[in-house]
Amino acid sequence: MNARETILNALKERREAPADRPLFEKEPMRFDDLSEAFATALEAAGGEAVETEEVSAEAIAGHFRFEGRILDTRESGEALSRRDGIGLVIVEGAFGVAENGAVWIDPKERYPRELLTLAENVAVVLKKGAIVATMHEAYERIDFSGISYALFMAGPSKTADIEQALVIGAHGAIGMRVFLQGR
Amino acid sequence: MSGRCPPVDHAKNAASFTADAKRAHWHDEALWFVRQKRDRAAKSVPEWEALRETAEAVKAHTLKHLGYYLERFEERAKANGIEVYWARDAAEHNAIVARLLNEHGAERVVKSKSMLTEECGLNPHLESLGIEVTDTDLGERIVQLAGDHPSHIVLPAIHMKKEDVSRIFAEHLQTDPENSDPGYLTRAARRHLRRKFLEADAAITGVNFALAEEGAFVVCTNEGNADLGTALPGLHIACMGLEKILPSAKELGIFTRLLARSATGQAITTYTSHFRKPRPGGRLCVVIVDNGRSRLLRGEYAKTLSCIRCGACMNTCPVYRRSGGHSYGYVIPGPIGSVLAGAREVATYASLPFACSLCASCDNVCPVRIDLHKTLYREREEAIDIPCYAGKKRLLHLMSWVLQRPRLYGLLMGAMRFLLPRLPRPLLYSRFNVWGRDRETPMPAPRSFRDLYRERRSR
Ligand code: SF4
Repeated sequence: MNARETILNALKERREAPADRPLFEKEPMRFDDLSEAFATALEAAGGEAVETEEVSAEAIAGHFRFEGRILDTRESGEALSRRDGIGLVIVEGAFGVAENGAVWIDPKERYPRELLTLAENVAVVLKKGAIVATMHEAYERIDFSGISYALFMAGPSKTADIEQALVIGAHGAIGMRVFLQGR
Repeated sequence: MSGRCPPVDHAKNAASFTADAKRAHWHDEALWFVRQKRDRAAKSVPEWEALRETAEAVKAHTLKHLGYYLERFEERAKANGIEVYWARDAAEHNAIVARLLNEHGAERVVKSKSMLTEECGLNPHLESLGIEVTDTDLGERIVQLAGDHPSHIVLPAIHMKKEDVSRIFAEHLQTDPENSDPGYLTRAARRHLRRKFLEADAAITGVNFALAEEGAFVVCTNEGNADLGTALPGLHIACMGLEKILPSAKELGIFTRLLARSATGQAITTYTSHFRKPRPGGRLCVVIVDNGRSRLLRGEYAKTLSCIRCGACMNTCPVYRRSGGHSYGYVIPGPIGSVLAGAREVATYASLPFACSLCASCDNVCPVRIDLHKTLYREREEAIDIPCYAGKKRLLHLMSWVLQRPRLYGLLMGAMRFLLPRLPRPLLYSRFNVWGRDRETPMPAPRSFRDLYRERRSR
């Protein structure tokens, strides 16, 4: 028997398809003001939410202090494949989550996934109306069929591995802001 | 007698940790602080207890149909272009990973946190084949450079002080040995590891959750090292214990809400990353590892396979906080580590179930409600049967014999009440009285409870 067969054989009483399965059926927490809750949670995660209608690359760049290039993934171009010296990357977020300040980002093969971690700063443009309350609603919303790699990102990269002292900017973005647009 | 004694002696190992009282105190406080953050995070979610109950039920359900879900995962993952491999034990796991790296011609590998690869001893294996493995989680990189092992599953370097890190970095990364500022040291590690990321030919990650229905998996980090590590090289190998499976992405709603809050008190990890297909032109491989898990599943400790490795049971454990992770002599320390080690091998780890006050705090924080303290109690009953503990066992039998004879007990206690306060200190605090070590032995009350009770009743 090969490894696969040995393992599945050891689980042979556990190979039946389940009739149904346990789900979370309680009403999860609610927020009076979703975008306000989102902003508070994102701030606690070291990020910042900015309400604005000015979402041009220039306007967004004004909210960060950085050196290096700006990559705006809302436009496609040659520049997106260069890895070095990225000061700021601007991406679109699909929706946000109020309870934890996370945004769902799916590069959809439109830009290389490494931009999200190589860039010193990440700006996410998000529709203000696209905020759900909790992770339950979040996963209801995601259609996995088109996904290759996608993530929830909540604030900048961070670590507390040296004496529990929080340091922002471990490997990925040192700054992260979400620009909430519209109503 | 000592020859038959368990090679892992928690109390003895802890002695070297507690020798530095200041450091041990710091460790205790630091973890208690994490525990308090966890409490605040949990209390901010009104449906917390319902979440825990559902998580427990989902895990039990998944384990009950584990074979089904694993096959389902394999089928769906393959359809997404993910290669799936199976390993019966650590050696097979290491061989598969080495073969994949070899096929790819990989010489430099970046690895994000995975307790499984630690369990399998993957790093030494790959290094023996001339492959450079860089642990990229900052805490893991620190212990790797120090030639040490993680002492906590979420905070691998919690046993070190910043001065230790400064010394290690000065030696390996040429930082200023006088500077032990965490910000400075983290920046130095960022530069050092950024180079490693850019040079790597392959990436290895763990798996937090594998999704049967979607044929995808999720990796959670705060540093973004799994994301950066896997984004550049053409080969990503993800290693998972076979218990990591969930029925579908729907269940992630429950588990992503519980994991980070339980682990560090954050509402969610900074990066919660979903991998469903290889990157363009690359390979994405998942290795499913048994290594004793299917055996565990058939025994009475099956529930321990529900563990999502959040570390909450360690942060809350009064023994772990005061004795440090290395005292456990097992890859995973703390309450869950003691349970798993004992389930794997009673004789070697017989001292671990006794490294527990049975306070049950771990049960109360565990997001999947594993009855850790009860399990440890059961393991004690097994552990006490090893030859080394024969004396201890006889003593316990004697104790139980006395306790069943109230008259005799009363008599003995009376003698103790008389004797204890009169014993000369050197005698009372001799090495035979373990209760007098590092603390004052409490003096008995002048009158016994039974005396007072009788008097009150007769009034
Ligand atoms: S046993 Fe429970 S509390 Fe301990 S690490 Fe596992 S999931 Fe967390």
